[in-house]
Amino acid sequence: MECDKCGEEAVMHAAYSGAHLCETHFCRSVDKRVRRRIREDALLSPDSTPEDPERWVIGLSGGKDSVVLTHILDETFGHDPRVDMMALTIHEGIEGYRDESVDACVELADDLDMRHELVSYAEEFGVRMDDVVEDDPENMAACAYCGVFRRDLLEGYAEEFGADKLLTGHNLDDEAQTALMNVLEGDVTQIAKHFDASLGSFEDRNEGEEFVPRAKPLRDVPEKEVALYAHIKDLPAHITECPHSSEAYRGEIQELLWDLEENHPGTRHSIMSGYEELAELTAERYRSDEGADLNECEQCGSKTGSRVCRKCRLIESINAV
Amino acid sequence: MNVTVDVVGEGAREVTVDDGATYADLVEAVDRSPQEVSVLVDGSPVPEDQPVETDHVQVLRLIKGG
Repeated sequence: MECDKCGEEAVMHAAYSGAHLCETHFCRSVDKRVRRRIREDALLSPDSTPEDPERWVIGLSGGKDSVVLTHILDETFGHDPRVDMMALTIHEGIEGYRDESVDACVELADDLDMRHELVSYAEEFGVRMDDVVEDDPENMAACAYCGVFRRDLLEGYAEEFGADKLLTGHNLDDEAQTALMNVLEGDVTQIAKHFDASLGSFEDRNEGEEFVPRAKPLRDVPEKEVALYAHIKDLPAHITECPHSSEAYRGEIQELLWDLEENHPGTRHSIMSGYEELAELTAERYRSDEGADLNECEQCGSKTGSRVCRKCRLIESINAV
Repeated sequence: MNVTVDVVGEGAREVTVDDGATYADLVEAVDRSPQEVSVLVDGSPVPEDQPVETDHVQVLRLIKGG
């Protein structure tokens, strides 16, 4: 099978568009989608100048998604004096697994000559996910603890490093899963928050002052294509599954979406296109209802709606074991 | 026809598919969704809608998260 654009051998077929593409044209198509998303999101503020560049902190886990994101951002903005990029990696204390992916991060940052910072749950919170999973004081899935800790460190350090934006490697499958989960859970407030937190263009978002704004430039690219891109470009992505991974409900939604996509190609794209519109409408409706009542956590000072933040409560509970 | 499907990290399986079967049919024969894997022939990815023209493929699974 030939590539639609040239005579080379095609390496992939995108059922949702009908395209057959060779390595070169496939990678070009991924780059194009990411750059278009960056433009449509108005990611680079018009106010940034070589004298006063924007700082972007990239959440770099070493997995395929964040490695591909970092690679494309570097190719696109590596020489742009209006942008100053750095990578932030979090070690959760998962032996073997995270040690290897940290190596992948260090290798990539070295290759790109990009500033790279590493922080760990052990140093920051005195906990390691391997132990948390063992004790499990709250009777929760590993990802439920880990997500709270990771978000706290990403946000805290993005702020400490003076980030204007925090970028993560969420792909189309991740976003379509989250969208569908929010719809199925009937969580309209969450849909509204999703728009202002990361979905909306920076021109349309109502950005709170509390958090470093986030963006997900890979969110138009299916997960499979992100993986293929990493494979073709031979990027140093770490390819082992987290040993504690256990998001049962998300896994169910993921399989449902795979089946839908097989039978009705384009389902993920149409979910996101409708969901984004819906999220904008709900954001306009719900915005005024919240946001004003955030205060500082009594223990760590991070922003929270309660007296003590969720992360501090989890750490207390872990230490009580 | 018989094809050896080597799911990387899980081992190889011999599957029998009809003549004219596609690489997607091979993936389904090893109980995977074409949405979660890439199929490699001699180390190169192939479009999954194409007819199988080999007796040995590698299947690369997607790895969640980072």
